[in-house]
Amino acid sequence: MIVFHAGMIEGQMILWGETPVGPHLVPARPPRRKQNKKGKIIPAEVFPYDAGREGLQTALLEAGVGFPFKGKSFAEMIAWLPTTNNTPVPSSPLIADPPQSDGKTTFSPWAITGFPLSSEQALEFLCASMGKQTLAPGIIVGKDLEFWTLAARLAGSLVAKQQFLPGLAKDHETYAACWKPVFSGDDRQRLTELARAMPEVSRALLPLEKNAALPQEGPSFPSSLSAVTLFVEKMADCLIRKSAALFDSKRIYADPASYSSLHDQWIEALRLPHGAMAGDGAELERLASQIRDWQRPIMASAVTPFRLCFRLEEPGDNGKTTETSENGPDSWYVRYLLQDIHDPSLLLPAAEAWQGQESLKAAKKKKTVSPLLRDGFQPQEYLLLSLGQASGICPRIEGSLKTSAPPGYELDAIGAHDFLTEKAQVLEQAGFGVMLPAWWTRKGTKLRLTVRANVKSPKMKGGSGLSLEEIVQVDWDVALGDTKLTLAELRELARLKAPLVKFRGQWVQMNAEEIQEALEFWKKNAQDKAPVRQILQMALGAAHTPGPIAFEGVTATGWIGDFLKELEGKTPFQELPVPAEFQGTLRPYQIRGYSWIGFLRKWGLGACLADDIGLGKTIQTLALIQRDWQKEAKGPVLLLCPMSVVGNWQKEASRFTPDLPVMVHHGLDRAKGDEFQKKAVRQAMVISSYALLHRDFETFQQVSWSGVVLDEAQNIKNPETKQAKAARAISAEYRLALTGTPVENNVGDLWSIMEFLNPGFLGTQTEFKKKFFVPIQTGSDPEAIGRLKRLTQPFLLRRLKTDRAIITDLPEKMEMKVFCTLTKEQASLYEAVVKEALRSLDKSEGIQRKGVILATLSKLKQVCNHPAQFLRDNSPIPDRSGKLARLTEMAEEIIAVGDRALVFSQFAEMGEILKRHLQETFGKEVLFLHGAIPKAKRDRMIEHFQTEGDGPSVFVLSLKAGGTGLNLTRASHVFHFDRWWNPAVENQATDRVFRIGQTKNVQVHKFVCAGTLEEKIDEMIERKKEIAAKVIGTGEGWLTELSTAELKDLFALRKEAIGE
Amino acid sequence: MGRWGYFGYFKPSRPRAVKGGIRAQSKGGKFGESWWAKRWISVLESFNIGARLGRGRSYARSGQVLSIETDKGRVRAKVQGSRPKPYEVAIQVMALSSTDWQKVVRELSKQAIFTAKLLAGEMPQDIEKVFKDARLSVFPEKLKDLKTECSCPDWSNPCKHIAAVYYLLGEEFDRDPFLIFKLRGMSRDELLGLLGQGDRKSLPKGRKSKVALLPEEDEISPPGEPLTADIPAFWGGLKLPESLFGEVRIPPVSAALPKRLGNFPFWRGETKFLEAMEAIYPPAAAHGLDLFLGAFSPGSMQKEILSEKPENTFLKKRKGGISPL
Repeated sequence: MIVFHAGMIEGQMILWGETPVGPHLVPARPPRRKQNKKGKIIPAEVFPYDAGREGLQTALLEAGVGFPFKGKSFAEMIAWLPTTNNTPVPSSPLIADPPQSDGKTTFSPWAITGFPLSSEQALEFLCASMGKQTLAPGIIVGKDLEFWTLAARLAGSLVAKQQFLPGLAKDHETYAACWKPVFSGDDRQRLTELARAMPEVSRALLPLEKNAALPQEGPSFPSSLSAVTLFVEKMADCLIRKSAALFDSKRIYADPASYSSLHDQWIEALRLPHGAMAGDGAELERLASQIRDWQRPIMASAVTPFRLCFRLEEPGDNGKTTETSENGPDSWYVRYLLQDIHDPSLLLPAAEAWQGQESLKAAKKKKTVSPLLRDGFQPQEYLLLSLGQASGICPRIEGSLKTSAPPGYELDAIGAHDFLTEKAQVLEQAGFGVMLPAWWTRKGTKLRLTVRANVKSPKMKGGSGLSLEEIVQVDWDVALGDTKLTLAELRELARLKAPLVKFRGQWVQMNAEEIQEALEFWKKNAQDKAPVRQILQMALGAAHTPGPIAFEGVTATGWIGDFLKELEGKTPFQELPVPAEFQGTLRPYQIRGYSWIGFLRKWGLGACLADDIGLGKTIQTLALIQRDWQKEAKGPVLLLCPMSVVGNWQKEASRFTPDLPVMVHHGLDRAKGDEFQKKAVRQAMVISSYALLHRDFETFQQVSWSGVVLDEAQNIKNPETKQAKAARAISAEYRLALTGTPVENNVGDLWSIMEFLNPGFLGTQTEFKKKFFVPIQTGSDPEAIGRLKRLTQPFLLRRLKTDRAIITDLPEKMEMKVFCTLTKEQASLYEAVVKEALRSLDKSEGIQRKGVILATLSKLKQVCNHPAQFLRDNSPIPDRSGKLARLTEMAEEIIAVGDRALVFSQFAEMGEILKRHLQETFGKEVLFLHGAIPKAKRDRMIEHFQTEGDGPSVFVLSLKAGGTGLNLTRASHVFHFDRWWNPAVENQATDRVFRIGQTKNVQVHKFVCAGTLEEKIDEMIERKKEIAAKVIGTGEGWLTELSTAELKDLFALRKEAIGE
Repeated sequence: MGRWGYFGYFKPSRPRAVKGGIRAQSKGGKFGESWWAKRWISVLESFNIGARLGRGRSYARSGQVLSIETDKGRVRAKVQGSRPKPYEVAIQVMALSSTDWQKVVRELSKQAIFTAKLLAGEMPQDIEKVFKDARLSVFPEKLKDLKTECSCPDWSNPCKHIAAVYYLLGEEFDRDPFLIFKLRGMSRDELLGLLGQGDRKSLPKGRKSKVALLPEEDEISPPGEPLTADIPAFWGGLKLPESLFGEVRIPPVSAALPKRLGNFPFWRGETKFLEAMEAIYPPAAAHGLDLFLGAFSPGSMQKEILSEKPENTFLKKRKGGISPL
């Protein structure tokens, strides 16, 4: 495991890493002491957790970053880190526990191995790390690295907004052409905001030689603001240079004499990788000052602590300032204000700046210090400069400058309208602040002319069902807000000719052209025809609506109206009766979910059920399949899921829908082609895995499916993957996606799932990117997210455990079994153990026999857990255990929604494996409590887990150590990863979370490997529950009393146990 | 020309080709876009020097002017003619007396527009009127307001070399309106200092007013900051707001910043400055957006083009949907 860190030395990014030191590992190099010239000894011991050259190299390769490595690629440097008791405090408990505190923490130098990145490499690496917690299992993105990815995004945003200028940088006596980002207005605030939040480790690095020559008072580190600024400058420069690069490599080494002028050299150097300029020093200095002069007007306004802000005030608005006498009763006013960059709520009227520097200073003596007197700021000159610049944009500003100290200017409704619609935007783009009344939105006044479609449903034809393909008549209306306008009223409005009109106390934008358009639209489109499918799209705001006027929505009567209202959740849809054959009870919210899927299914629309983990997505789905099967079995349902849950589906189906024919399609001897088709059509449900979806795609396509259900549908979130493409290509009457991760939060993932459910509804991927993804990610259209929500919400149902309506439906404790499969490796190990055991059993008796039985039980449990636990060979963890795969999937959902979980195992070795695997997968601390942990540390762990906020999400406990005396009420999930064949012991453990103080519903997940002894013992206990307590006692001894024949049956591996 | 015409074998003088001279940035037609630049040029053109004007213009375009240095009240320049050694050109402009300046400044400070426009790089329209009311003129008007010299053998003054320099100055006026005041004996900083006190006569006389809004680049040496954070903040930093970046979009007008600043002073490059900028800004912005969205990869700097015909596949007829349950 490695935690990647990134620091900055003079604008160069240094990558370094922390790895845990195992008990068998000692620091690779002996501690070293550095001596400086004055003879003062600066201790710089080797950082014990330093990843070192090899650690960095391996991790980078594993992360898929192909940087070339050479001996010189790495450099030893010094990191000043918090240190207590002469031991450094690591960044995270993933690395090591913090050292025992001696009460004071100091900063001390530690030698680390750094990997300096060129700007280009830094960009590449930061892009690869953006938004990620791990780069690969066990390769964790440190918080400081995460911080720099944000800083890189800021650099990207400045370049995208074209906020940069060409310049010339001087370093000692050499000059280099460079691009400089311009931080104006809000961007400067963003920069300070970033600097404030910077992890200090990012600036705590020093090159070795600098550390060796430290001044007496200790090292000096760049301020966070200067470090971030320098970094953003470097990244922006690299990016612009790279995109403007000259591909004519011959010229790169061109002799400065070959340029006909210094200006030519400069322009070219701006497009070369290094940017170095050659020539006479005095001449270069002259160029530098020329450039400064040229940049002055923009750079000057970019460094002031205030910015000019224009506030539009309505007639009669008394404003917040005292001198509003300029406002007549009917006139609008644009007020000049100076806005504090760092505290945007601080707005000072221009009058204060007009007083002049001296008057402000004079006032200072009277102890009323103006905030304008700051950092050598020249308020009056700044105001003049800004107004001078703004006057070019807006002639009325120029008009106001005919006096010596204008506070703003007055304007009429036409002027106000012009300001709102045009000037405000241009001023904003030029970097000025603009404040507009709240009733104004980007698209105009909140109240405005709209068109609305009226749809009357045709009469139902006897017998035949309703369809989205039905063509219906659409009548268009023009309205103002909620008021429908008649043609005469519209013409009346057209005569008013005022751009802003007060309509029932609210301002309305009245554009003559728009009114004209409305009139024409009316004439042309008043009556129209469209299929219901299009009406549905229009109603949700997805379709391109005719005409240029804002589209307000659809009003529909009859069945179309009912359908739309139900779809948008405005009226509750009809609840469906649960089929009598369904062997289970649906809770009220489950009936609603099941009916909802049924409703969409009726219309041939796809549905995504995204209920929280444990709310019963499986049984809602099974109920629907049962109902479908009874009503009209048109064909089987194809259910696709990860291999790890195939067994679970099969078990749940046999439990809740025992009379449905179900077929599992997996394994080497699975049916193919015609044979499959013949078998499949007789089923109500065919269960298979994503892995086979692509491989057996042609086989699947031969069947006419009534439905396709995707469990753990986040598996198709990437639309480019083979399984996503195959899932979309399978044809079926209805489609259902099940997922417990909040897909709606990730805009990028939404398209793929929606495209599976309702092809074309969100447009092509490219259209979606343009209409939703980019606007939402770049914040360029604040309404895009709302539009997308409205579009997808009818097809997405997500209930949380914490929803009020759900909580009342749920019992306080829910127990469920999670059936897992074995991997092939597990199965062959299992069979080998059984074979060995049966041989020994034949030869042994009495006490010895009991010993063999107990040892075999233990070995089989270990195999079911993980081959590495059984083999004790420290071998790799991932992809070798069905249980672990399932736990990882479920933990991911739990972490994604911010829940916390306890995981119990009776084996300390397994606990260690679980902790390591979960930590490496999620890059987050996982706690592990076992018998060897002293009480003080145990108490700290519990406190850590119980605290609010950003604590660990998963707590692994050994059943013995964690079974009693603990209070862990923060968890709402309990996993029993392996079983203690004694319900009393398990219940005691479960009660850790189920104590006084527990406010949440608790879900208990008991893991069972299907087809193995785990399932068989589980069945035995279930069968004899009432006598269990007596028979079973407190241990597993009762199992040793079984006959050899019974044991043979108990140990035997059923075929269904094996996954892929 | 006439002077050399006497010798039958002597061709009309052709200037030596120059590399890296100052090149006029205006495309054909006029030098200087602004009215004040035009006013300056019109003074030259009023001197009736005939064909020399045209030759001066082509000198200015082909980069024959090697250097221009401006100072209070005077301009020095080197121009490459037909002889190996460049000619020295000097233009001296009659400076205004300090009392004249005081009169002007008093008037100018009555309206904020004058200083505002000047600071924003523009000559205020009404400024000539202010000068006129004080019986002065902004631009040199008569021959005696202007002294020109050139080391060339041409007997005519102004000669084409002077004209070339004069034209290039016209372009520079476009960018820097303060230049005319400088030539009239008042530097930018002095003028702003005087305007700042204006009718508020509180600024003590003789003290040099500080007008630089922008610190010199060399002055910025960031002070160090000790490490102080507590351990969680040292490693993890502080929380940032959700919407840190605000709206990010590529502006509709490219290279707006350099365009706002205008052409580079006395540009000598072979490529036109703003044209070079306009070629660089749009592709850079596209890559900036990629970086912002985390989709940037330096290896393949190909930009996906977001344009495709919308096709509403949702509306295609499909099976199902009528099943009465």
